Amino acid sequence: MSGMALPTTAARLPRRTVTGPGRPVAVISVSVAVLAALGFFSLMYGAVNLSPAETWRGLTSSSDVFTRNVVWEIRYPRVVDGMLVGVALAVSGTLLQGVTRNPLADPTILGVTAAAALASSILLVIDPNVAQWAVVIASVVGGLVGAGILFVIAWRGAVSPVRLALAGIALSALFGAIIVGLVSTSSAFLQTNLGFLAGGLYSANWAKLQATLPYLGFGVLAAWAYSGHLNALALGDDIAAGLGVLTDRTRLAVLGICGVLTGAAVALAGIVGFVGLVSPHLARVSVGQDNRLLIPVAALYGAILVTTADLVARLIVRPSEVPMGIFTGIVGAPFLLYLVRFKS
Amino acid sequence: MRLSVEGLTLCYGDRVVVDAISCDIHEGEMVAIVGPNGSGKSTLLRGMSRLHRPTAGRVLLGGRDIHGMGAREVARSLAILPQSPDAGLDLTVRELVWRGRYPHQGILQRASRGDFEAVEFALAAADLHELAPRTVGSLSGGERQRAWIALALAQQPRVLLLDEPTSFLDVQHQIEVMHLLRRLNHEGMTVVAVLHDLVLAGRFADRVMAISHGRIAFDGRPQDVLEPHGLERVFSVPMMVLTDPESGLPIPLPRPDPLLCPVAHDADGGVRRPA
Repeated sequence: MSGMALPTTAARLPRRTVTGPGRPVAVISVSVAVLAALGFFSLMYGAVNLSPAETWRGLTSSSDVFTRNVVWEIRYPRVVDGMLVGVALAVSGTLLQGVTRNPLADPTILGVTAAAALASSILLVIDPNVAQWAVVIASVVGGLVGAGILFVIAWRGAVSPVRLALAGIALSALFGAIIVGLVSTSSAFLQTNLGFLAGGLYSANWAKLQATLPYLGFGVLAAWAYSGHLNALALGDDIAAGLGVLTDRTRLAVLGICGVLTGAAVALAGIVGFVGLVSPHLARVSVGQDNRLLIPVAALYGAILVTTADLVARLIVRPSEVPMGIFTGIVGAPFLLYLVRFKS
Repeated sequence: MRLSVEGLTLCYGDRVVVDAISCDIHEGEMVAIVGPNGSGKSTLLRGMSRLHRPTAGRVLLGGRDIHGMGAREVARSLAILPQSPDAGLDLTVRELVWRGRYPHQGILQRASRGDFEAVEFALAAADLHELAPRTVGSLSGGERQRAWIALALAQQPRVLLLDEPTSFLDVQHQIEVMHLLRRLNHEGMTVVAVLHDLVLAGRFADRVMAISHGRIAFDGRPQDVLEPHGLERVFSVPMMVLTDPESGLPIPLPRPDPLLCPVAHDADGGVRRPA
């Protein structure tokens, strides 16, 4: 058998690691489409299932009081809430991973979420009838305090990834214990009020959404504006400083943005873990390391993740529901274990 | 662009590492800074950029105090490459070099024509076009060093500071890096490099500055200052200086200790030591 002549030089293409210009566009378009579909499913399904036509009517007209109420007043703010929480946590996680150069960084793992939750529960214990916007402010202030603690611990990034994560877990445990103490010694009324800390969107409403929007808007825009600084900071403090980045000031500002975003997310949905860990990693796999792209793509992934988790949480024990944080944990915790074992 | 160091004192905590050093780096010079470990030479280099804030004294870049200028403004004229950076390993070489454009770009880093040209120039100068799609982590030590130098070149600096750009490299890669620096210098760039290797310093620098205990021990043309006495005072080892028969440049070497070095071989290849 006369074998065919093998090509002497195998046409070996260099492994493409650069994502072509079309790729991010495709990733973003597909994500937006998936998110829109998930959002519409979330409007349709719940304790009562609606047909697509009914859902559409509930969204666009107020002729049918029942569907209008279910779709517009209950489910719609909840869907928007969920997406915004996902965006806030994912962007916060991307910033934290960038600024600490730590693949394990996440607002929940590093205790920022718990600090925000603690601050808002302290306020609720002091005055159970306090206005929505005040809870949001307390939560944001708590997030900033948590971020401040991180700034002190991770000063100049001199701690190893795992140690920083351990310090954060210790902080989370401490704040969490105080929260549990507060909840268990408080009145039944307050207990339902603090129930949101388990990570759920069932308390979503338009007023809360409006109170958090300014913080979310500021946080996301500021995060994006810092993407160039983060790109330089990824090369190490010395290189970044040589490129003209004021490293300490940048780290402080970015952690502050994290605090604001995390605080706003906690005010909306309590403690939802791991979204800030998983989303940036998935985004990095799809569009690479450039924070200008990474931040918006991670934000979309975060929104998809939370919307999916909330949908599952509402459907699994209908007509009741379970805290959505359980599902982000089920996805996120094994992912953390994977990162600890194989990536650091 | 002239870099003037005036009475520069740099400390780590209470410890004075650079002690009131003054020197002028002239436009277009190629300067090697040598000295033993812990002499303060790397700290001096960091102080010449904005990486280490002076306790006393100042550094003037083109006549202006670098701490009075904006960080980005300094970065557009002066680039510093610290010792063996180990971040950014997941980036491709091209992505890495693009990040050198940071000081020239505004918010969200929209790329201009000038950015493209600077990146292409940097990749070409460091001979990286073929390696551009590879990740930094997949490169050899010498290739990686060239990638980091290209990052600094993308800044389009007039002054380039490098901390031990040749350490951990084999001879071929050392020469490659030094030739690259020399070429850039011929094109008008001022180059200041901390070097461990005295032979490379003597061969490639216009001027050798030795630092000892945070002060300048000697400073001048290699032919003038690389002589055994001065070197012995700085490095605390007996030294000799040979002359390269081809270039006439000095080759400083530690003097062999007759008791510890094999000086001759027996006919059968064995080592014979002096009695």
